[in-house]
Amino acid sequence: MKSKLTLRDFSLLLSLLAIGGFFAIAAPQFLSARNLSMLTVELAITATLALGMLLVILPGHIDLSVGSGVGLMGGIATVLIIHHGWPAWAAMAGSGLVALVLWMAMGALIIRQRIPAFIITLGGLLIFKGAFWLVIGSHTIPVVAGGSSNLYSLLTTFFLSPAASAVLVTLVFAGLVILNLRARRRRAALGFAVDDAEVAFLKLFVTAQGLLLFVLTVNQFRGIPLPVVILGTVALVIQVITRHTPFGRHLYAIGGNEEAAFVSGVPVPRTVIGAFTLLGGIVAVTGFMQTAYAGATTTTVGDSMELDAIAACVIGGTSLRGGRGTVLGVLFGALIMASLLNGMTLLAVAPEMKFIVRGVVLTLAVWMDVKLAKR
Amino acid sequence: MPALLEARSITKRFPGVTALREVSFDLRPGEIHALCGENGAGKSTLIKLLSGLHPHGSYEGELFLDGAPAQFGSIADAQRHGLAVIYQELALVDELSVAENLFLGCEHRRGALIDWDATWREARTLLARVGLDVAPDTPVSELGVGSRQLVEIAKALGKEARVLILDEPTAALAEREVATLLDLLREFRRRGIACIYVSHKLDEVFAIADRITVLRDGATITTLATPATSKSEVIRAMVGREITELFPRHAAHPGEIRLRVEDLSVAAERGGPARLHHVSFAVRAGEVLGVGGLMGAGRTELLMHLFGAWGVRLGGRVQLGGRPLAAASPAAALAAGLVLASEDRKRYGLILGESIGFNLSLSSITRLRRGALIDDEREAHANQGLFNSLRVKAPSLETVVGTLSGGNQQKVVLGKALMTGPRVVFLDEPTRGIDVGAKIEVYALINELTAQGKAVVLVSSELPELMGMSDRILMLHEGRIGGMFTRAEATPERLLAAAMGRTPAAA
Repeated sequence: MKSKLTLRDFSLLLSLLAIGGFFAIAAPQFLSARNLSMLTVELAITATLALGMLLVILPGHIDLSVGSGVGLMGGIATVLIIHHGWPAWAAMAGSGLVALVLWMAMGALIIRQRIPAFIITLGGLLIFKGAFWLVIGSHTIPVVAGGSSNLYSLLTTFFLSPAASAVLVTLVFAGLVILNLRARRRRAALGFAVDDAEVAFLKLFVTAQGLLLFVLTVNQFRGIPLPVVILGTVALVIQVITRHTPFGRHLYAIGGNEEAAFVSGVPVPRTVIGAFTLLGGIVAVTGFMQTAYAGATTTTVGDSMELDAIAACVIGGTSLRGGRGTVLGVLFGALIMASLLNGMTLLAVAPEMKFIVRGVVLTLAVWMDVKLAKR
Repeated sequence: MPALLEARSITKRFPGVTALREVSFDLRPGEIHALCGENGAGKSTLIKLLSGLHPHGSYEGELFLDGAPAQFGSIADAQRHGLAVIYQELALVDELSVAENLFLGCEHRRGALIDWDATWREARTLLARVGLDVAPDTPVSELGVGSRQLVEIAKALGKEARVLILDEPTAALAEREVATLLDLLREFRRRGIACIYVSHKLDEVFAIADRITVLRDGATITTLATPATSKSEVIRAMVGREITELFPRHAAHPGEIRLRVEDLSVAAERGGPARLHHVSFAVRAGEVLGVGGLMGAGRTELLMHLFGAWGVRLGGRVQLGGRPLAAASPAAALAAGLVLASEDRKRYGLILGESIGFNLSLSSITRLRRGALIDDEREAHANQGLFNSLRVKAPSLETVVGTLSGGNQQKVVLGKALMTGPRVVFLDEPTRGIDVGAKIEVYALINELTAQGKAVVLVSSELPELMGMSDRILMLHEGRIGGMFTRAEATPERLLAAAMGRTPAAA
């Protein structure tokens, strides 16, 4: 048996190529090593948060508070370091713990008290924003004393050396090939549909080219940025969770039909609270990266990031009703959003237009997905 | 006298089942005509057809109104012709006032705005006609079930209904409210409004109907004039056929008691009234206990409660394999060795957008692990095994469940239940809406389960199925035990009488 590839499978890739092609022509510096390196950092931040968002959208919920949360968690860690003299690792661990507790509490409210996630997290958005400004006293506080660096500031300023980058990418590709071959053999042995050998080879070939292009480009600048490694790790973990654990299976089941999932013995409350708690941890990690990237915590950090995260999920084919969505799709969605934003900044597009273009792209993407799904 | 409304040799098919077969029915002007039959006899389908819910073209045969062919394209279309249905689940908007509900969809207007003066005035008139003494601006949420029903009827009158169709109108009413309703219908009869009255309750039917039509297995059995017949004749017509060879129940060799329920009382919610009263029974290994009763008797509620998915326990003890079983959650019930295949496949049974494999292993996935991760190979083998042994007709395990026929969907629901390796299996209407071939496979499966020493509780609305497949039969009546029968004692008449609460419990 063979599985067929459809236009829908490629629509994201094609959109991405179109966007990249447009900016490459309109703003030649788009393809410069320096810019693409910066783009991967921005992508890593958006995509990490979007992957966390996927965890709560899959069971049919939503989180509007992650943007405020990003600011708050970055702010708490910064204040602990600068005002209270904590070491950077302890500050981040402490702030991360706060995030886990807050998101666990929101998840519990949503599922135990049956209050819609939209409402609870809208409350969270406002409360976290206010708490954030209180914590930082509405000031701008640098993540590290001028001139030096700490674990926190290194989050977005550390790059793997070109040699290490090349080794890492090679290892990742080798891992992909091995996993792919093994999965193919197993699926074939079980009588499931597998791609044609040519198609499978083509997919790996394209992936290899992409990875090669990526590492050659970033190596012309300073190597692979640390946020990309963090994103890779988060993506791997979430891929394993969603596809290879009972917990992940339960997320899809709850989103597909919560009543049937409950009657099938799925521990619905525990699963949803777990998803929110994991999201809390990811919000903290994103908060540290975003604050470090800005160089300082300031009242606007994290603004409207929840919208980019949700948009990345939706563009990547995640259903807001739950039950449908993949890690790869979300990564593509985030890449599209990040490329758009980066390219428009290079073209010095007015901020007003940036908002409008992002909105139009989001709408178009969903409309296209609905159209293609109907075929 | 020409018929006001007539159905001539109507046949209605659904995928996999024929719900109505050459059904004929006529309603005379100013007549109250009762429609009787077991659950699933086709009454609801016939009503839906008469009221335009199944539009013209979705069935074969013809409808006539005043002697002229009638082709209702929608409910609104049927309403324009003077037909109005009062459904079991009342179709009122809780948050709106009585008057707003009365004119929902046909508001009195002055230009683009609602004409409130006319609305209040007309509402008062209509409420007076049904004898309901409430202010028109009362929110519907403040009314009881009986009053709501009167609002529904007033709403139908407001649409100039000439034919009222009432589906189990007294199911939720207190005795006094029933009397009010019956008086009102008699009053309508005097004014020439005809009425189709669907009810299980023969006492009411005999108190009010001019004629009675009995449906069975989607066919008209007989139409009787009330004065010339008796309740026992109607029951015989409803039950009818002999138990056929369709049900190859093997001789049972019951073992030890697997599930024991003592004096169980359950309410739907904390502080609510009891819906199950002092229910006691036991099921042995290798035995099929049938549970029957009319719609709303509490059969599904009983199973769902024992499985931890419904209600609050007011009292009683439940033991599974000698250990107490709390009604904690389905997950806990599954862990204790109890599994439920739900009656409502689409709502409680399946994740329709996911694959067959996903659904089959859903209840067992936490056990199919190696470390923290799902063991894909074990899962695939377990799925494949059930897929083959249940003979699910689909291209592969990765086929999306929503695309399967009813019978195959049911097999997936059963497969999911079996994979958990249960000791007690609850089957709630396992053959509803599936074709005969699939039914026989389900019966064979039940025999196989008991041969393996599992205890089976089978809820069914179909008496022949209940009598054919059960070793003992428990009949529920309004949340209470109406009777418990051995296979030898069970006759359709006795079971139906017990379901209607007409005889003291036997044996």
